[in-house]
Amino acid sequence: MSSNRELTMSSYVGIGIGLMVIVLIEVILTYQHLPTRTLLFSVLSLACLEAFVAIMYLMHVKYERPLLFWTIFPATLFVFVFLCYIWPDAFRMFSMRLLQ
Amino acid sequence: MFAATAEKNIFLGVKIMPATAAQAAVHHAPPQGFIRKYIFSVDHKVIGIQYLTMSLVAVFVGMALSWAMRIHLAWPDAHIPLLGWLSPSGAPGGLMTPEYYLSLMTMHGTIMAFFVLTAAPLAGFGNFILPIQVGAADMAFPRLNMSSFWVTLVGFILACATFFIPDGPPLSGWTAYAPLSAVGSVAGPGQGWGQNLWGLSIVCFCIASLLGALNFIVTTLDLRTKGMTLPRLPLSTWGWFIDAWVSLLAFAVLLPTCLLLVLDRLAGTSFFIPSGLVINDQLQPHSGGSPLLFQHLFWFFGHPEVYIIILPAFGIVSHIMPTFIRKPLVGGWKVITFAEVAVGTLSFVVWGHHMFVSGMSPFMAMVFSVPTLFITIPSVIAVLVWVFSLYHANIRFDTPLLFSLGFVSLFISGGIGGFFLAQPSTDSYLHATSFVVGHFHFTMGLSAIFATLAGFYYWFPKMFGRMMNEKLGKVHFWLSFVLVYCVFMTMHLTGFAGAVRRYSALVDDFMVPLIPANKFMTIAALLLGATQFIFLFNAIWSRFKGPKAPNNPWDATTLEWDTTSPPPFDNFGGRQITVYHGPMEYDGEASVMQTSPAESVAGT
Amino acid sequence: MSQSAIAAVTHHEVVMEASPYAMDKKKLGMWVFIVSDACSFAAFLFAYGYMRVGAPVWGTPFGFSSILNGVVMTAVLLSSSLTMLAATHASQTGEKASAGKWLGITMLLGTIFAALHLREWFKLIAEGWRLFYNPAGGAAQFGAAFFSVTGLHLTHVVTGVIVLAFIARGYRQGRYDETHVETAGLYWHFVDLVWMFVFPLMYLMNAH
Repeated sequence: MSSNRELTMSSYVGIGIGLMVIVLIEVILTYQHLPTRTLLFSVLSLACLEAFVAIMYLMHVKYERPLLFWTIFPATLFVFVFLCYIWPDAFRMFSMRLLQ
Repeated sequence: MFAATAEKNIFLGVKIMPATAAQAAVHHAPPQGFIRKYIFSVDHKVIGIQYLTMSLVAVFVGMALSWAMRIHLAWPDAHIPLLGWLSPSGAPGGLMTPEYYLSLMTMHGTIMAFFVLTAAPLAGFGNFILPIQVGAADMAFPRLNMSSFWVTLVGFILACATFFIPDGPPLSGWTAYAPLSAVGSVAGPGQGWGQNLWGLSIVCFCIASLLGALNFIVTTLDLRTKGMTLPRLPLSTWGWFIDAWVSLLAFAVLLPTCLLLVLDRLAGTSFFIPSGLVINDQLQPHSGGSPLLFQHLFWFFGHPEVYIIILPAFGIVSHIMPTFIRKPLVGGWKVITFAEVAVGTLSFVVWGHHMFVSGMSPFMAMVFSVPTLFITIPSVIAVLVWVFSLYHANIRFDTPLLFSLGFVSLFISGGIGGFFLAQPSTDSYLHATSFVVGHFHFTMGLSAIFATLAGFYYWFPKMFGRMMNEKLGKVHFWLSFVLVYCVFMTMHLTGFAGAVRRYSALVDDFMVPLIPANKFMTIAALLLGATQFIFLFNAIWSRFKGPKAPNNPWDATTLEWDTTSPPPFDNFGGRQITVYHGPMEYDGEASVMQTSPAESVAGT
Repeated sequence: MSQSAIAAVTHHEVVMEASPYAMDKKKLGMWVFIVSDACSFAAFLFAYGYMRVGAPVWGTPFGFSSILNGVVMTAVLLSSSLTMLAATHASQTGEKASAGKWLGITMLLGTIFAALHLREWFKLIAEGWRLFYNPAGGAAQFGAAFFSVTGLHLTHVVTGVIVLAFIARGYRQGRYDETHVETAGLYWHFVDLVWMFVFPLMYLMNAH
């Protein structure tokens, strides 16, 4: 027996259109000649927003038990956050390169 | 934010499982035929024994490799005929070359860390015992479970196969640091197909472990029998469950790391190979990669790995002790479980302590050092629980308890060495000395082995329906315990004196005075190895000739003791199992079985 | 303990504790798998980021036509997620034929995605791009990062299409039920989810 289906197909189509709009915003931003770092953070934030919407609605997590949300998000985000420990060495590497 | 759900209390909800829903225990008919019963079996008990058998073979292979290494360290001019036969190029006339020493070291580490220490306590005992302890008839996904074993076995065969190829096994260590492991055969013997097979072996192990972890998690959450609420889970199940989560997240990162290494080796990419690298006068064509990236990605897995190895040991020992001290552990299930969760979580944020001398950012060194010191806190809490539980206890000094106490001792000894390695200042001196080797053999190798042996002596009657010989068990314990200290405590001391690890011979003048100590360690190690044959004999002889075991020979409380020894194919013969008590209830000397319908003891 | 829940115990019925997630074990298993696969993809993307940060000249090889192709691919994959949801809904109301139809359309859209992707790969390869070679003169790792990350994703898409075929067949034959379709759907949504990160990071960040 599956969880409540609060959403109809037309709501899903609406969500899909919203997601495509976010993608188009990302593409527009790409061609705005932004500094690389700004583009990266904007596009990554938008991607996270898309992912959150997709997980909560398309993958139904909003309508499952809260425990599912509190299991998958902390576990996955934990790995993402601590993988970020590699960045100091990535940036150091650039400034320590041998100039050829 | 979340839709309201009808069932609020997840612990009181029960469900009744009809046959076709495939949600409950697998209600299949008993398997017929030798192949289905013992070879391609989906029965978690058979799979558990298959893992344990593979690990038993692997541990003797791994030990034999260590004997060869130790003999060479003590007597560098020794000729070992078997080695000469195995690898005429690596050990011509039986005289080991330095490169072959490194190859033996690499495979010793790989086989022991993966196919013994990770496989036996987690996949071996976990597979056999966990479903029974939660009251299920099998794992959540029995066929996936079977695939996990066979993929692991393929990995083991690939690892062993490296000995039989012309160039021999890789020599880059179980850590396989790039660029040595990434550039291919130009780097030395064994770095061609040896390293490729090694990489394939690890990829197999990763996939099998990930699927196994998935199985453990879903089984523990979804297949508990009526009354088996999470607080009533045995501590060994908690250990396996928490470990499965750590395993899931860690192996998920090792898999891409190995794939990237394979791409560097076979597809010409340069994830890990820097520009301008000259090996044997040949400029390598790769450019722009970072060896440090490999270390970061590897150790992101590598540190949780050592906790993946030790958490089942925590669980097994926490489970065994109450039976033999006739009282619950101090703090009940909560303290030990909290400690395990804390250790498992913190294990992901300390990996840089393996990289203090690698050229990593010194700021990051501090960022890693502080949590490394913090992680000792939950470990010490666990140790204090085990030690304080012995006070005012009616202790039955049977072999499983002896090995459990041995585990505690070894873990403390190894853990103290960790304080020195956790700080970059002292680690700068101790890194790459045999101090580190002594440390990790104590904390990771021997403690986990002692806990596994405790589990073996404890669950052997359940698994095979016969008792092991108690006298031989005690002899095995005392000899092993003393000899283990002889070998590995000495190793700490030689490490302080500067003995460099992964060196095949001690020729530098500051290491020559350490040769007598090395001879002592070698003799002790060979005696230690010989002692294990007592265990092997005991296990094999008892399997066929031991006295028949009753259902509950240790007078324990948990569900595995509420069924026959060995259990029937569906674990409980189709009976409804209802749990009324926690796993550590004792009424004076008498144990209260979890299924006993008596009144609950307060607090459970 | 609810007394009314104690049922007669027969050979085929056992009373168990409810799942704390109130879901079928296959679905929980799929979520656990998704967590691990997400971490694996993350490790790949972090490795890409690490190399890119350290490279003096990375290069931006993607022209507008590549980005447009990428947008089309995104739309195709997103639509396939919607058709997968339609299939899941249909299976949950027992409309077998409709579910089969929507599964088929999902598989078709997945195949179109793969075809568009491979077409782009071949175009790049024809221009000289390799795992180890950058014809535009920037970092040689561009090819390594691009082909390995998108290749891994493509493998997931192709595997997904094959799995959906088996699910569709099994569902039609009555061996599988709606929980199988829903579980397969979760995997398919995850594949779409990964693309939501791969497209900006590998395409948009490398556009000129």
